[in-house]
Amino acid sequence: MENKIFRINRISKSFGSENSDSKVEVIKEISMEILEKEFVVILGNSGCGKSTFLKILGGILPASSGNIEFNGKDYGQEIPRDVLKKFGFVFQNNNLLQWRTTEGNLRFMLEMMHLKGEQWTARIDEMLDIVGLKAYKKEYPHELSGGMRQRVGIARALVHNPDVLILDQPLGALDAITRKMLSYEILNIWKKTQKTVVMVTNNVDEALLLANRIFVLSPVLPTTISHEIQVNIPITARDENIYENQRFNELREMINDIVRSTI
Amino acid sequence: MTKKRIESFIAPIIMFLLIFTGWEIIVRALKIPKWLLPMPSQIFKSMIVNFPAFWPHILVTIETVLLGFIIAVPIGILLASLITSFKVVNAALSPYVTFLVMVPLISLVPLLMLFMGYGMNVRVVTVIIQSFAVVNMNACTGFNNVPIMRQELMQSLGASRLQSYRRVILPTAASDIFTGVRLAGIFATTGCISAEYVGGNMGLGSQIIKYSQFLKTTESFACIFYVTIVGLMMYWLISFAQKKIISWKI
Repeated sequence: MENKIFRINRISKSFGSENSDSKVEVIKEISMEILEKEFVVILGNSGCGKSTFLKILGGILPASSGNIEFNGKDYGQEIPRDVLKKFGFVFQNNNLLQWRTTEGNLRFMLEMMHLKGEQWTARIDEMLDIVGLKAYKKEYPHELSGGMRQRVGIARALVHNPDVLILDQPLGALDAITRKMLSYEILNIWKKTQKTVVMVTNNVDEALLLANRIFVLSPVLPTTISHEIQVNIPITARDENIYENQRFNELREMINDIVRSTI
Repeated sequence: MTKKRIESFIAPIIMFLLIFTGWEIIVRALKIPKWLLPMPSQIFKSMIVNFPAFWPHILVTIETVLLGFIIAVPIGILLASLITSFKVVNAALSPYVTFLVMVPLISLVPLLMLFMGYGMNVRVVTVIIQSFAVVNMNACTGFNNVPIMRQELMQSLGASRLQSYRRVILPTAASDIFTGVRLAGIFATTGCISAEYVGGNMGLGSQIIKYSQFLKTTESFACIFYVTIVGLMMYWLISFAQKKIISWKI
């Protein structure tokens, strides 16, 4: 658990060309270390640049300055293509390919990464089983509910057996009840798969249920880390009854105070 | 479901019968001369009796339409891919594509004939010009409508630009592209007939002109009906292909 999988050093990001009025600074000097098998949550208001940060982490966008170290190797401002196989990215709006079935969407990942053979086909079933959708292998995305689609999205991000699971507001587009159900499911998936997870959210309860550590981002652009919170709630207490846990309520009060004071 | 199917099958047949019996009755009742407006029964009879005379022209028209269409569709899609992928290509080509869509084709045909004579070439080129632009414009819309999220998915997998295009962008844009292809099928037919109208003595368009100059209105109408049949065949062919290719469509 003490192995550092990510070491992020003073990452900044701005859009638009240098020295012009259109230049927008989004992220300013974010540094953090992420441990192996840790569940890290990045908490921030909408529009504060937390998704941008996650896209840099996931190799979708390059940083403007700073450097990212992954598994002890310094990759500079952008994670190279061949390393991205070690990541699984879950998008806010499931982002499934509508012309492929549930199984087909998972197979797409394997095809893109040239992973062939019996054991990978078996892994498709295994992952669908983990998200509870084994019976929906042959359905197309439009035949599934929003929550189911998001579960397929999570299974897809796990099928190539990555080291890191990156979740960009995975529950943001769901209704309140599905959202709650699925947050418990993410917790179970993390326990079962033992992956390092980095998740972005704007929901305090979700963050406290899931995270080992929470990074709170400042609400004004360019954003930076305003607080780092260790969530010392034992794993056994994290279930439907977490709302009665004393530590949970203390932390919740504290984070809400932070959020309120920064607005 | 079956009731719906019967409705969609029976309704056009009833409408067809109503229009043509109405037409037949009016022409008979008002004793309209044949050279002005023939009766449908006479037209259908001519379609069958004169079939040997029409057949080579029908064949030429089908050939021209198909050949032009088959060349135009890939050109349209390829050009749209380039236009939406590279800003330079967009800036360089878009005005000319718009120009080709806006210029009435019939005004270009005499010029083309000046360059290429009266043969098959000029007709095929006309069909290509008429139909590639509409494929191109719809395909551009399709490519531009691909959500950024899709590109991000491919980037998160470390995919190359070509991989993203083939595996995700093209299929996502497919239904918009097919709208263009469908329209191109119609435009190809009308483009072909206009080219045949202007010059030459082959193809159904040339026959429509020829018969109407001799006041053989019945034969003229028979040719127009055959044009309609060619157009409908194109439409069905494309719809069939669309169903086969975009099987996931909701």
